[in-house]
Parts: sequence; C-alpha cells; structure tokens
Amino acid sequence: MAQNRRTSSSKSDPLWVRVLLTLMALTFLGLFLAMPLCVVFIEAFQQGWRLWLSSLKDPDALAAMRLSLFAVVVAVPMNTIFGLCAAWVLTRFRFKGRSALLTLIDIPFAVSPVIAGMMLVLLFGSRGWFGSYLDAHNWKIVFATPGIILATAFVTMPFVARELIPLMESQGQEEEQAARTLGASGWQTFWRVTLPNIKWALLYGIILCSARAVGEFGAVSVVSGHITGQTMTLPLHIEARYNEYSTVAAFSAASVLALLALVTLAAKTFIELRGQVRKRH
Amino acid sequence: MSIEVKGVTKKFGDFNALGGVNLDIHTGELVALLGPSGSGKTTLLRIIAGLETPDSGSVIFHGNDATDQPTQDRQVGFVFQHYALFRHMTVAENIAFGLRVRPRKLRPNNTEIKNRVTNLLQLVQLEGLAERYPSELSGGQRQRVALARALAVEPKVLLLDEPFGALDARVRQELRRRLRKLHDELGVTTVFVTHDQEEALEVSDRVVVLNKGHIEQIGTPDEVYLEPKNAFVLNFLGNVNRFRGRADHGQVRIGDLTLDAPEHAALVDAPVSGFVRPHDIDITRHHNGDSASLIPATVTFIASLGPFVRVELERENGEPLDALLTRERYEELSLQSGEPVFIRARRLRVFADDVKPGGEDYSI
Repeated sequence: MAQNRRTSSSKSDPLWVRVLLTLMALTFLGLFLAMPLCVVFIEAFQQGWRLWLSSLKDPDALAAMRLSLFAVVVAVPMNTIFGLCAAWVLTRFRFKGRSALLTLIDIPFAVSPVIAGMMLVLLFGSRGWFGSYLDAHNWKIVFATPGIILATAFVTMPFVARELIPLMESQGQEEEQAARTLGASGWQTFWRVTLPNIKWALLYGIILCSARAVGEFGAVSVVSGHITGQTMTLPLHIEARYNEYSTVAAFSAASVLALLALVTLAAKTFIELRGQVRKRH
Repeated sequence: MSIEVKGVTKKFGDFNALGGVNLDIHTGELVALLGPSGSGKTTLLRIIAGLETPDSGSVIFHGNDATDQPTQDRQVGFVFQHYALFRHMTVAENIAFGLRVRPRKLRPNNTEIKNRVTNLLQLVQLEGLAERYPSELSGGQRQRVALARALAVEPKVLLLDEPFGALDARVRQELRRRLRKLHDELGVTTVFVTHDQEEALEVSDRVVVLNKGHIEQIGTPDEVYLEPKNAFVLNFLGNVNRFRGRADHGQVRIGDLTLDAPEHAALVDAPVSGFVRPHDIDITRHHNGDSASLIPATVTFIASLGPFVRVELERENGEPLDALLTRERYEELSLQSGEPVFIRARRLRVFADDVKPGGEDYSI
C-alpha cells in the first residue's frame, strides 16, 4: 500500500522535473566524484604503465608506502582494542561522567587534524612538556615514526567505538548474563557471545578506521618533519612529488591510495549487505 | 538445594529495591515471588543468581555462603523474561552452550552433548526445531528453548524471571502447567517471579508476597489467599470490596453493623477497613428482621461471566460493591438492574488502616 502510494506520487511529478533533478544529481556526482577519480588514473597512466610501475618502485615511494602501512598496522589494532573497551565500559556500566566520556570520544572528529598534530609537537617536541625527558633518554617521538603512529591513532580513534556503542547499547547485556549463568567465564562470554553479536559492526569500524588512517594528512604532516625516505607517509609523498612537478610520480602514488579507497568501499558495501541479510534472517 | 536469604538490602541510587529481606527456600520447593512492579521481586531473584550484588546481607546455598560467588560458579539455571537466547546460534547450539563452555575435563564429548540436546528438546517438546534460529521461533517456543538451555547444565536451582509474562493467555496457561509438571519430574528447587496472583497460586508450593522491597507474607497458596496477614496481601491476591469503619475496644462498626473483633481490642476509636471478596457476598431480597447483619444496596449492573454472574451494587452512601454469584444462585434470585436488595458478608476481614498524619476520617 505504502509502496504503491510512493510510486504514484513520484509519477505525479512532471517528467521535466524528474529529468532535471536526475541530471543535476548526475552532474554533481560526475564533477565531484567520478571525474577526479578518473583524472587520478589518467594522470597516473599518462605515460604508460611502465612509468607508473617504475615510479611506484622508486625507493622513496616504497618507503612511504611501507611507513603508511606500518602506521595503519599499529594504529588500527590500537583503536580496535580501545573501541572495544570504550564501548564495553560505556554500554555495560552506568557511572558519573559517562555522558562526558561519550562526548570526549568524539573530540578527534571535532578537532582539526592540524591541531591534533600541533598538540603532539607541544607535548613531545624538543621544546615541549616532555621534550627534555625524551631527549635525556634519547627517545624520538616527533619527526619520527612514533609521532606518525600517534597522530594517525589520535585522528582515527573514534571510528570503532562509534560503530559499536549504539549497537551494544541496543543489544543489551542479557545474552552475556545468560552466558554467565550457564557457567561461561568472562573470556568465553566475550568470544562466544559478545564478539559474534558485534562482529559486522566491528569489521565495519575497522575498515573505516583503516581507510582514514591510510589517508591521514593534516596531523601527520605536522609531526612528520618531511624527512624523505624516513618520515614520509604515502599522502605526504604525493604532496612532495606534486610540489616538485613530478606529476606522474605523484599521481601514480595517488592511484594506489584511490585504489585502496575503492577496495574499502567495496568491503564496506559487502559488510552492509551481510548485515542486512542477517537482520532479515 | 536449599536457599537462604538473610537480611538482604539493595539500593539503586535513591531507590530502595530491597530493605532487609529474609527468606528460606527448601530443597525441591517451587516458590513464587509475587508482587507489583517495583516490589523488588526481580532484584531478589537476580541477587540469588549472582547477577546483582546485595548492599548487605547474604545468600546461602545449602549451608554455604554464596554471596561473593560469581554467577558462573553458582550452578543456577536462569530463564530471562525476554529469554536472552543467543541470536547467532541455532536452538541446538543454544541448548549445548552450557556444556560446551565447561572446562575440558568436565565437558561431555560431542555424542553425549548431542544426546543431551535431543533429550532436552523432547522434554520441552521442540523436536525438529534444533536447527532453527531464535528469530524463527514463536514466543512460547523461545521460552521453552530458554528453559531447556537452563536445564542442560543440570542446575541445582532454577530461577525464572516472569517466565510467562510476554506470552498470550492460552500459551501461558499451558506453559504454567508444563512448568509444574517439569518441576515435579526433576525435583529441582525452583523460584519464579510473577506479578500475576493466579499464576502464583496455581503453580507454586509457597508464595512470597513482596511489596516495596519487603516481604509481606510467606505461605502456601491457601494460606496467603485465605489467611492474608494484612490489607496489602488481601488486596493483591484478588478482587476485594472495602468497607470503611471504626474499631473501638474490640468492637468494629461498619455503617449500622457492629461486629466483634477481639484481635483489634487494643484500638480505641481507630479507622479500620473491612474486606470482603466478591464471592463471599450473598444477596437477599428480604431482611426478615435480621437487619443487624445486612447492608442495604441497589443493583446497578449485571454481567454474565459464564458459570458466574457478577453483580455490581451501590450502597446507600454511594460506595460501589462487587458480588460474584453462581449462576444457580443468580437464577434463583432473578435479579433486575435498579432493584433494592440486602447484602450479607459471609467472610469479612478487618484490618486497621495505616495511620497517616492528618488522615481522613473514614466513618460511615
């Protein structure tokens, strides 16, 4: 019934309105999404795929990819564990300051990444709060890999928690309590009851978190120091090459990032579909 | 296994859920915790299960203090109000869960688990549904899966939180009987929470009536129904008519009636209430000079309830009354709406009213 009404109301709009609206939507999509994506690949393959490959095999590009990957491999598990803990504490317990904590989790989303980077420099830089202590122990955080990981982790912190909190809130804890009454330990309850119930949301959060972590530019740019071959992540490498007018090198690296984004998108869609199938089930 | 609850208190914020509860449950008993919502009955059940920790007091299982024992070591079967079945597991996996999480040494092998699941499915009459998911079952079926899952670990105590609350009347009646039968077969100590007095009276060996975090009365269904200790228990266990009156030196006056009430000898001109169940009211047309035990009233409405007939009446002071007559008696009288009649209370219980500061005067 509702379905019928919806179809008939859309039919009642004049044809030219529908055509115009569709065209507008398509134009916007083309201008702002499809075209830039195509440009990336066109520029990357402009002088043949050999040059594309060789610019990716360039030691600096490889180092940048390795660093980006390393940052993701460290930061994403950190945020996954943090997200699980935060979601568990915030949905399973009622305590004072709970809503303040819920807001706090969103700070990395609200704050500009550049500020996040500067905050790290102010804390761990040579003239920062812990600067002299770190110097004395010969520990480098800013302008080194740890700084890049911290910046990436900070910016991507809320993704997993944000996915899990609403789901765990709505699922409640009765199933977990039931598991306990049946003799399951805390770990058994987590692995056999909690995790299976949240696994799709968790995966979804991890994918979003990874996608954002690979592409992070602002915060990392501040703490990196731009040391070629050492503290350049893939996005920083792209910017550097672009500023040197090495278009092919810049866009080859960019095409890798774009490809990653497309893969992420596909994975995300797949998980969403899975989630829907299960819900219907 | 016997359960002893000693001086248990529990607060949620400013709300007193339980205020010093003492309760003995004997081995093999089927006990109902009965009370209105907010009376603390579910909290008490969850404290017995270890899902809630008491602020003070202790829970003793078979002579051993279990107050600090974690839930998973208590060997209690708990059936949740909304069943809490594991939604990502099939019925069979749900039932097997308690066996599969056992430490390797105590865990039965796969064939044993399979047999156990099959037996339990038979016990709750759900053969053939082993591979279904909870979302594919009806409410009554889910309830039975929850019961089978709780029984799979051979619990020492079975605890059920409003086990039939979310089901429709038919299914509820059937499952009620099934629970009683199951309990008689297995002999496991069983405690269930309910707000339905009929359910409590029908199923249990003993009823614990709770109100505002306190136990009002503990007794067999007959005891709490026929010998209620106070006005709350009387009120909660079924419909009742209330007559306001006054007690003075062992005499109770209700309207023109004067009754002896030696149990209230200590009261001096205090407000009391007389309570009569609708089926304890008889209706007559003539007072035969016996006006001392009769109260005049007018029939206002007659509702036929199959084997019974409910007659609504109004007293001379405007207070409404309900009487429940057998169909035979009703036909004998052939009452008409609007007719003046007399009523006689076959069984009247008098309780002193709660003395509230500035309380109203209830004299009639």
